Amino acid sequence: MFRNHLKIAFRSILKNKVFSAINIIGLSIGLSAAFVIGAIVYYDTTFDNFHPDGDRIYRITTAFTNPEGNFYNSGVAVPLARALVDLNMSELETVAPFLTTYPLHVENQKLDLSFKNPEFVIYANDDYFKTLNYTWLAGSQDGALSNPNTVVLSESRAAAYFPSQKFDEVLGKTLIYNDTIPALVTGVVANFKDRTDLVFEEFISLKTADLQDMTSAVTDGHWNNTNSASQLFIKLGANASASPVQKVLDALSKEHEEKEETAIGNTDAFYMQPLHDLHFDPNYYTFDFDTSRASLPVLRNLGLVALFLLLLGCINFINLNTAQASQRAKEIGIRKTLGSSKKQLIFQFLGETFLLTLVAGLLSIALAHWLLQLFSDFIPQGVTLGLYAAVLPVIGILSLLLIVTLLSGFYPALILSGYKPISVLKMEGSKGNQKSGLRKYLTIFQFTIAQIFIIATLLVGKQIDYVMKKDMGFRTEAIAFFRTPWSNPAPEKKARFIKEIKQLPLVSEVTLGGQPPASFSTHSIGVLYQEGDAEFNTGLQLIYGNQDYFDMYKLQLLGGRLPLNDTIREYVVNETYMKQLGITDPQALIGKTIKADDENHPIVGVMQDFNQRSLKTGIEPMAFTGDTFRSQRSQFNTIHFKLPTENSEQWSETITKIEAIWKEIYPSSDFEYRFMEDTIQRFYTQERKISLLLKWTTGLAILISCLGLLGLVMYTTQRRIKELGIRKVLGASLVQLNLLLCKEFLLIIAVAFAIAVPFAWWGIHSWLQDFAYKTSMSWWVFVGSGLVMLCIALLIISFRTIAAARVNPIKSLGTE
Amino acid sequence: MLLQLNNIFKWVNSGGQRIFLLKDINLQVQEGEFISIMGPSGSGKSTLLNVIGMLDAFDEGEYHFLDESVHALKEKHRANLYKEYIGFVFQSYHLLDELTVQENLEMPLLYKKYKGAERKAMVADMLDRFNIVGKKDLFPAQLSGGQQQLVGVARALIASPKLILADEPTGNLNSQQSEEIMELFKKLNQEDGVTIIQVTHSEKNAAYGSRTINLLDGRKI
Repeated sequence: MFRNHLKIAFRSILKNKVFSAINIIGLSIGLSAAFVIGAIVYYDTTFDNFHPDGDRIYRITTAFTNPEGNFYNSGVAVPLARALVDLNMSELETVAPFLTTYPLHVENQKLDLSFKNPEFVIYANDDYFKTLNYTWLAGSQDGALSNPNTVVLSESRAAAYFPSQKFDEVLGKTLIYNDTIPALVTGVVANFKDRTDLVFEEFISLKTADLQDMTSAVTDGHWNNTNSASQLFIKLGANASASPVQKVLDALSKEHEEKEETAIGNTDAFYMQPLHDLHFDPNYYTFDFDTSRASLPVLRNLGLVALFLLLLGCINFINLNTAQASQRAKEIGIRKTLGSSKKQLIFQFLGETFLLTLVAGLLSIALAHWLLQLFSDFIPQGVTLGLYAAVLPVIGILSLLLIVTLLSGFYPALILSGYKPISVLKMEGSKGNQKSGLRKYLTIFQFTIAQIFIIATLLVGKQIDYVMKKDMGFRTEAIAFFRTPWSNPAPEKKARFIKEIKQLPLVSEVTLGGQPPASFSTHSIGVLYQEGDAEFNTGLQLIYGNQDYFDMYKLQLLGGRLPLNDTIREYVVNETYMKQLGITDPQALIGKTIKADDENHPIVGVMQDFNQRSLKTGIEPMAFTGDTFRSQRSQFNTIHFKLPTENSEQWSETITKIEAIWKEIYPSSDFEYRFMEDTIQRFYTQERKISLLLKWTTGLAILISCLGLLGLVMYTTQRRIKELGIRKVLGASLVQLNLLLCKEFLLIIAVAFAIAVPFAWWGIHSWLQDFAYKTSMSWWVFVGSGLVMLCIALLIISFRTIAAARVNPIKSLGTE
Repeated sequence: MLLQLNNIFKWVNSGGQRIFLLKDINLQVQEGEFISIMGPSGSGKSTLLNVIGMLDAFDEGEYHFLDESVHALKEKHRANLYKEYIGFVFQSYHLLDELTVQENLEMPLLYKKYKGAERKAMVADMLDRFNIVGKKDLFPAQLSGGQQQLVGVARALIASPKLILADEPTGNLNSQQSEEIMELFKKLNQEDGVTIIQVTHSEKNAAYGSRTINLLDGRKI
């Protein structure tokens, strides 16, 4: 029986090649999206799920609340760990403080090997290994980090530092960190085999840090000083609950809060972050800044995309198969007279659906592979189809295929198996079926989704275009800049560099200054402005530069003058700051002072506002000043240069020359320059990714929906071919016939449009809330997107209807 | 007695009027009979045949098939009953286009849950008996109308039904093919004792039968 069904299934799939292809393509698009997105979700949700007692391990972090909002720090005040240990709580099995560190280099002097900037190094003690379970390849957990100047290495680091030595031989060897810190290797642990955010490779004993100049970071007694490097893991006892610990933490932060801070609304609290939240919590960083972390909203959106594409595919299937039902009615009638029961027929059709789904599934593996490459920017590096080679994902795939089969196959199977043999066998050619209502609704649903995506794509594109093109308030064209090496701050070198660049023919302006006016990094200080009895405490962002800098970026002074020189701290504040102080006339502010670092500094000018960051945020109080921190560390570390706007083809030549100068002056560092316009683009990386994703989703949604539409049109024209013949004999013109056929489909598109508009408007409206500057949601975008959909649909429809309308009536009528 | 119809009525309501498709039909069929149902178009021939075949329901009256009271049976039992005892032959053959001759023959057996080996033997036997062994791997579209109907009859017979119901079995065939099929029916009836009820327009075909029932406007005349 099964073989027979399989045979029938295969043959009927082959018989209706076009319909089968439409079905398979539609389903495989949805499935491949689901595979890729499923892989991402699986990847992200399986971080750190392998630790024994993982559900009892927490990271303690700090959440700050102040009137401006909430801020989060992954670290905790140093004394917290000590305090928790001293409390000796029965709920706490371990308290494991550690300190992240970034050594400049590490040496294996025996072999004369030196390694620059080793990553993922921490200072930890034995409690760390009691909290997290590592496999020890050499040495043992007991006392490995009890003494100063000891280190435990991961197997990969051990292999790197001590090439071709057995792990046992590595024990007792010495490494030198930063030229001065010797460390005896007391253990080698295996790297975690599974996905983890705990990426540490070298564990230096905490007591070593004690001996170094980081004393403050280990023994600091201040409760109000939180450094993100100083972190803390705890592990609860076997049956302990978290709430008593949280209570103790709350009590501790309460006990050590400072009255002056709470008075102005600044409080902080310790937060127990479960280990499995590490990968998802947007408030706190993990330890590897290079890898993207998962964001639940993003995963949720991706999931929705997959769901929609799958649904569209299923709907295609339902539509085409119920539309085609009359073609199979004869088979059903025969089978029923030969003794098939309704149940058997349902299973037969479901089996066929499963077969199609399976083919689509196989096809979508190839598609998914391609999608993974296409979207490699988006997708975490570790996500490959190889992830599916595990029990859970395989079960997942199988159940997905089954669900898709049921979703798309059950309704058609029910319709098909419900045919009465007598009506089928008697009325040859059957008069279509009356169940076209549902089909219409499903098609409306499909087109609504496609329409929403079209509108969203256009509006997101419009917004991105708007923010990229919007005047930032300063000059951005053809300006590039590069940072001089941090480790080589000698001012003479910078001066020489500037002098040499000036001699290049194509560089019209060059200046030394701080960060460009808009950048990712911010440098701000807290300032106090007093006006009579009123006090204004605000943060003030600083940019550093001189007259040349000011001119190059075409910043505008509203009044006053620029700072005279670098020795006196004088500020030119922006309009926003002035307005925040309640002043409207620049002259009224010039000459006043602001207090920072317990000193009064004069405001000498007011400059026009410009956007210091992406247009997602508004303009914040800012001040322009000279190199006023020169005594500590010069802020003039970036060289800005202006290239001619007109002949951009010669830019690369100039930049090559600048690089040559760099090689001469800073031979040991790499040259990295950036154009101002690129920086602005980079503000919107996330948005541009969304835009790309939307474009693809839209394309696919349109494709699936149109395939479905094509199928429906083919079916309808086929069914009405006789009617068309009669009408033609009675004198209908080609246009009239075409109009007649298109009418019902165009109505579907129109209804879909009407439903889509409010949803799309609402979706984009809430997305735009992230931006301080919003593009207008113009009516023409909606109308335009409706027209686009209409044109695409018309094209598809008339492709078939014209052919149908042209058929010679003798042919269509003569058959009977 | 194979089957008995007592006062069978069947009607449809159209425009507030009751239109009778079958009106007070009484019929007794003995095993081994060969009955022809005749009448003009719309007289209810096919309806009667479908009622006998349990494919169509009736509104009033009693229908006994062997020991069962069909009118009192549930759909599922009725299906089991005709599956077991009745074979159908159609005017337009109604072979499954996607299956070969051999597979078409096998299908009723699948629904009766015969074992694989048994099925093979029965199909081979039938191919042999109808002399279509050479055509077993062809698809219906590759056969002539007469050959298709031959397969149709073979399929109806394969599970050894007691009753064959044939709705204008020769309606789509030319006269020579018709004659062959009717000869086949006659042979089946006389040699194998299969009861046959056929609907036909042709007096010539009706003459093959042992008894003729004439219908007009749903009534026996």
